[in-house]
Amino acid sequence: MSVRLTVRPLRLAPAYAELAGGVDGGVALFIGRVRPDGGRSGPVTHLFYEAHRAPALAALADLERSARARFGAHRVVLWHRLGRLGVGTASVIVGCAAPHRADAFAGCRYLIERLKAEVPIWKTEERRRRARPRRGRPGPRSGR
Amino acid sequence: MGRLRVLLFATAREAVGRPRVDLTIPDDGTRVETVLAELTERYPRLVPVLAASRLFCNGEPVARRAARLAPGDEFAIHPPYSGG
Repeated sequence: MSVRLTVRPLRLAPAYAELAGGVDGGVALFIGRVRPDGGRSGPVTHLFYEAHRAPALAALADLERSARARFGAHRVVLWHRLGRLGVGTASVIVGCAAPHRADAFAGCRYLIERLKAEVPIWKTEERRRRARPRRGRPGPRSGR
Repeated sequence: MGRLRVLLFATAREAVGRPRVDLTIPDDGTRVETVLAELTERYPRLVPVLAASRLFCNGEPVARRAARLAPGDEFAIHPPYSGG
């Protein structure tokens, strides 16, 4: 079992090593990254991730057991990063190793969808404010 | 009288302005609904957050608002999750 909540950067190579330790024919990996969503109040520059640690780790462990039972997954990675992350930074790595690719893909998809819905982790957006014209400020003077 | 610690996350924290609140409760405990009433009286911005939140006591889900909380318990308000 490999579940983790960490403030340290997530790296792909150790996640793959965790999954590839057996003889499974399929290893599926998903990496979620901070994206610069737009909006009226400006684009996202950072996301702040927080968790209620003990229930979150318990929920991740439940997911891992569930993926084993449903998809015959032999190895699972559920790593989530916490803290303030900039655009493009990996926030989550989910992986599933199973004897065949169909179960590896399905297990990986199942894990990330369930993680988002059922694990007590939250993100708060930080946006760069768009410049707005100030009211009441005179424009350039026209020549007289 | 004893202390009940309330943990607040994400929009619940923003509604209250801090990540935790300590309440004083009777030695023989109190109901979840009583704690929620006190919190929303102090922090009215919590009302819409609570409508969509899950509740936990000592890391375990609280299914009923009539459930009892005891001094020393850690009560948590979980707004909808948004990890990933």
